[in-house]
Amino acid sequence: MKNNTNKITILYIIVSIILAILYREFFKIIIPSNPLAFSFINDLLFIVVSGILLRFVLHKNNIKNSEIYRKLKNTNNEIKESNERYDIVSKATSDIIWDWKILEDTMTWNKGIEAVFGYKQEEVGKGSKWWFDNIHPEDTIKMSIKLYSFIEQKTEKWQDQYRFKCADGTYKYVLDRGFILKDETGKSVRMIGAIQDITKQKEEEQRLKLLETVITHTKDSIIITEANLNEGKIPDIVYINPAFSVISGYTSDEIIGKSPEIFIGPNSNPEDHNTLIKAIKNKQECHIETLSYKKNNEPYWVNFNMLPVYNSDGELSHWVSIQRDVTEEKKQEVEKEQLIKELTQNNKDLQQFSYITSHNLRAPLSNLTGLLNLIKDIPIENQELKEIIDGFNKSTHLLNETINDLVRVIIIKDNPSIEKQSLLLKDIFEDVFSQLDFLIGLHKPIIKFDFEEVTFLNTNKSYLESILLNLLTNSIKYKSETRKLKINIAAHQLEDSVVLTFKDNGIGIDLERNKDKIFGLYQRFHDYPDSKGLGLYLVKSQVETMGGTISIESKVNIGTTFTLTFKNK
Amino acid sequence: MLNKILCIDDDQITLMLCKMVIAKATFSNEIVTAKNGEDALNFFDTLKTSDKTITKPELIFLDLNMPIMNGWEFLEAFNTEKYAEFHNTKIIILSSTIDPGDLEKSKKFPLVIDFLPKPISKEMLEYLKDKIQF
Repeated sequence: MKNNTNKITILYIIVSIILAILYREFFKIIIPSNPLAFSFINDLLFIVVSGILLRFVLHKNNIKNSEIYRKLKNTNNEIKESNERYDIVSKATSDIIWDWKILEDTMTWNKGIEAVFGYKQEEVGKGSKWWFDNIHPEDTIKMSIKLYSFIEQKTEKWQDQYRFKCADGTYKYVLDRGFILKDETGKSVRMIGAIQDITKQKEEEQRLKLLETVITHTKDSIIITEANLNEGKIPDIVYINPAFSVISGYTSDEIIGKSPEIFIGPNSNPEDHNTLIKAIKNKQECHIETLSYKKNNEPYWVNFNMLPVYNSDGELSHWVSIQRDVTEEKKQEVEKEQLIKELTQNNKDLQQFSYITSHNLRAPLSNLTGLLNLIKDIPIENQELKEIIDGFNKSTHLLNETINDLVRVIIIKDNPSIEKQSLLLKDIFEDVFSQLDFLIGLHKPIIKFDFEEVTFLNTNKSYLESILLNLLTNSIKYKSETRKLKINIAAHQLEDSVVLTFKDNGIGIDLERNKDKIFGLYQRFHDYPDSKGLGLYLVKSQVETMGGTISIESKVNIGTTFTLTFKNK
Repeated sequence: MLNKILCIDDDQITLMLCKMVIAKATFSNEIVTAKNGEDALNFFDTLKTSDKTITKPELIFLDLNMPIMNGWEFLEAFNTEKYAEFHNTKIIILSSTIDPGDLEKSKKFPLVIDFLPKPISKEMLEYLKDKIQF
């Protein structure tokens, strides 16, 4: 514009000078006589011509100005519109828009910086340093390299993913995309970018990656097949995990697109195949153990679990089957069964052996007993013979008792299921006491009962009697010489069990020393002549045969308590 | 008192004891013995062919463990039609067995009326007198 004004002024001056020269020459020729008149006319003409010239120039300018004005107005409108659009977009988008004037290093952020990262406008730094400072230390180097090479125009587009720190100190994954504005010289002066919060996607991605590691790292084989039968065959495979390759010997490429029917071999059970087909038709989960064949035709047992997988529309999309090689387990199972069979047979043989042995011992012994019974009725005159026969009699009875005890042990051990009946506790004790009449009469112990809580017990009569008999005789046998014997017997209900306690104030047993042996076979803790070390062993066996438990508490010279627990069902 | 009983046992001492106790208890007039199941069956076979006036045993004391033919095999054989004419003879198993299975097994033979432990005794015979009611 200024140049134009100068041009017009210079043009005007040049034209005026030319005109001035022309007039003078012109009037010199026409009216040379009157210089005054000439001067006036000269001025007049000059004014008129310059006026016309001025008007022309002004008119021209006017046209030009209105043209410029119109253009300016248009431009203005466009800018306004564009600004409005920018505002609308930046309001509508959840992205964070930033604007970086590179030369001045000033940066402005839209409101997204608060919405997404929680920064108030006053907390946001003015320059690019704030931006870089908030990028996760692990991402910052990689990000700045990419960014600067873009600014130096080595790359066309710029976009990057990095973690950006929020106001609360946590990081969010972002996708940042930007473009650059250049000046006439092609220098980057300004950059505008949009940051998108992709934390959710990233977390989902990481979650999926984590889940995927389960499939790729598990020792179990995983096969994914299509949803539907392929011409009546098991659906084609779409995926196998590495574990399956390891076990079966098939690589992904060899197997994908094929039906798992190639795993069926000559010894596979056709029933298993039918089961699978049926499950697929009915879209039902299926769990079988089947013989599968490897690529090298080696068979192996798999525990096979097939599950239907549905897509978001609820349609069956795939079958996922998880397989485990259970060949070793199968083998062990067979071995175990074999072992159990052998052990059972062994046990049976031993049992039979014990029956025969005891029979063979008892047979001559019963003869001895029978014969001795006969001798009883024959008077013997000879004193020496009488003594001999007495000794013979005693030894025979002792042998008989021992063998009978052993036989009882054998029978208890062989008879795990015994008949039970509901019995009045009072009756059982009365029975037991009547059998111990003599002993009780002799020692007169103080016996206290507490059967208020439990009156009936579902038990085996002869076993319970034998148990109580043993415990009572023990109490009497091992009573203190200095204290009057007291026995407390009580029954309590504990949930669905009955707890029988049997407490005396006798000489007790040193449990510290004999803890493990207390219920053992042929264990004697006192040197009493009629102690055989069998009583508590029998008691324990009988209690356990009835499904109960027995425990003991004892202090030397204070007393002993037995606690028996039975299920009362 | 019974007229005739049969004791089947491989043990000579047991047989002797039986004889003595039975005599003492005046349980039976006559006592016949057999040393195993086969021996006993032979006895019944001769009874079948011989004179009908010879009395049949009314009671058998039977041992279980015997050589050649044991008590069970004897029972199986004796329980057949072949010996139907002797089926009113009652059988008592007299054994030293402790196998609970033996008692169960004996219940399958209706001819067996009792299962008693050795040794035979006067008390046992008194009990049997009551039971059989003679």
